[in-house]
Amino acid sequence: MAAETARKFEALEAQAQKIMQVFIQAGHEAVSPAIIQPAGVFLDVIGESLRARTYVFTDPDGAELCLRPDLTVPTCRLHIERNGDAPAEARYCYNGTAFRFQPVGAGSAHPREFRQSGIENIGASDREIADAQTVATIIEALRAAGLADFKLRIGDLGLFRALIKAIEMPDRWRQLLTHLFWRPDAFRAELHRLARPADENFKTMAAELRQGIDPTDVVRSERAVVDYLSANGIEAIGTRTVTEVAINLMWRLADAKSAPLSPATVALIERYLAIAGPAEAAGAGIKDMLRERGAAMSSAINAYHRRLQLMAKLGVNIGQVEFCAEFGRQLEYYTGFVFEIVSPVLGPASPLAGGGRYDDLMRAAGSNSDVPAVGAAIHTERLLSVVQGDGA
Amino acid sequence: MTDKLILAVPSKGRLMDQTIEQFASAGLTLRKTGNERGYRGEIAELDAIDVAFISAPEIAWYLQTGRAHMGVTGEDLIREQITDADQRVRLLKSLGFGQADVIVAVPDYWIDVRNMSDLDEISAAFRREHGRWFRVATKYINTTRRFFAEKGVIDYRIIESLGATEGAPAAGTADLIVDITSTGATLAANGLRILDDGVILKSEAKLVASKTADWSPAARQAETSIIRAFGL
Repeated sequence: MAAETARKFEALEAQAQKIMQVFIQAGHEAVSPAIIQPAGVFLDVIGESLRARTYVFTDPDGAELCLRPDLTVPTCRLHIERNGDAPAEARYCYNGTAFRFQPVGAGSAHPREFRQSGIENIGASDREIADAQTVATIIEALRAAGLADFKLRIGDLGLFRALIKAIEMPDRWRQLLTHLFWRPDAFRAELHRLARPADENFKTMAAELRQGIDPTDVVRSERAVVDYLSANGIEAIGTRTVTEVAINLMWRLADAKSAPLSPATVALIERYLAIAGPAEAAGAGIKDMLRERGAAMSSAINAYHRRLQLMAKLGVNIGQVEFCAEFGRQLEYYTGFVFEIVSPVLGPASPLAGGGRYDDLMRAAGSNSDVPAVGAAIHTERLLSVVQGDGA
Repeated sequence: MTDKLILAVPSKGRLMDQTIEQFASAGLTLRKTGNERGYRGEIAELDAIDVAFISAPEIAWYLQTGRAHMGVTGEDLIREQITDADQRVRLLKSLGFGQADVIVAVPDYWIDVRNMSDLDEISAAFRREHGRWFRVATKYINTTRRFFAEKGVIDYRIIESLGATEGAPAAGTADLIVDITSTGATLAANGLRILDDGVILKSEAKLVASKTADWSPAARQAETSIIRAFGL
């Protein structure tokens, strides 16, 4: 990869100053988390798929380290290092390099070394206010850097969760569907599996085992597993216990005994996932769709509309905001509201900025309690190329 | 560097012997020049070819970087070591030896896990119970990631294992493995079972051409001669 010119470097520095000024004025403290991160903690949070794009190495002491693939996790770790488990509200901002391996033929909008300018809002208990402020601050920073023409796309995993909750089904199915939300193909397959008659899902289990498993009795089910293993000469190895195997089989049997999802329910979920369009109309549409089915998910819908109103109050032109139910982020750590700023020049494959709510991330990064958090980052090289008008 | 074609072939063991046999049955005499322990060679019937005898795992790297124009090595190594393999090399022909499957195997004891989607299903419960994702021991890191992603399994960690991978679950250093097997006997001896949809790749030795090498007209001509000899 070619080194950058001094001119480009200076332009990026000047742009970063404008952006950081907006962030600091909005009450964010500038921080500079470590570039080199312990791989273990980091990779546990981001998963193997991003690991494939992370530069991981071993130092002379044998410690497994990585070059940070983003700045959100390092900022969370910095917050925990400072505050331990003491509840603390904090707003941070940063401008720094992130590193990602890119496949052959990745365009210049996808460099392996790029600068992110971003903000994190950790510990704020009014989620909609924090979400709206995050969007508004990012947009203000983009404007300060000279960006005029862009589109804001939003999504909301909270709506999906509420929808699933409003539909009658075993709790474990809800967990499964939420777990698969970020993987559309697997999600669709699972949804249709849950809609098939039970026996079809269950016939792979050996008959003698099936008879011994009792969905309401762990001890009895465990005994059935042990008997099956010894009858078949199978040795128990590894960390997973007989109890875990038995419990999983109990769940399966309970699943098999539950009524499958009705075609109407499957259709409802698929209709929801197909929603895309102007944000206010989409919210109203979802409400109607649920009323038809007599399902209520008012608090999630209210939060959705409240967030839009707060964004409008902070100067975001919500007439132009587009909602997409399936708006997926590569990073699974987002748990609620998500958003992306797209320019007509670079298109949706190379967003200029993006972020969202990640209420589970602090715990994964080492906190012992749940901490609400929301953040976003600007891809500064892309922003500069759009503002300077040199395309990609 | 001359403008000769560089052909990289395994430098020892059965892989080298079988490569030489396959070239012989294509009517080409592959032999070392000079010292029997040396690493240079030639094809007696063809000019403009330098044969490099190198260790099998390095051949993929030679082809990826263009240090060799052609080579003989296992498809498993090509797929593992070359990112975007299809853009960097062409697999010309299966040579009929070195057959082995790259597979996903779990403890046979996991009677509730028969396929990849079962594996995905237990991942969340496993993490709740043990405070970590389940670990996959393998030397096929890239292959594993690609296959697991294709199957929609994302919640796991890879532990790099450079030998005796099948022993990892019993030893407790990993929970399942991705490894190469030809008969499955070692897996069974270690209490492991291949998942129903767990065959990632049916690998064998391939004749491969590099797309990234510097192809002089002489090298192209030599390639054509080899390809013709192999009846392609």
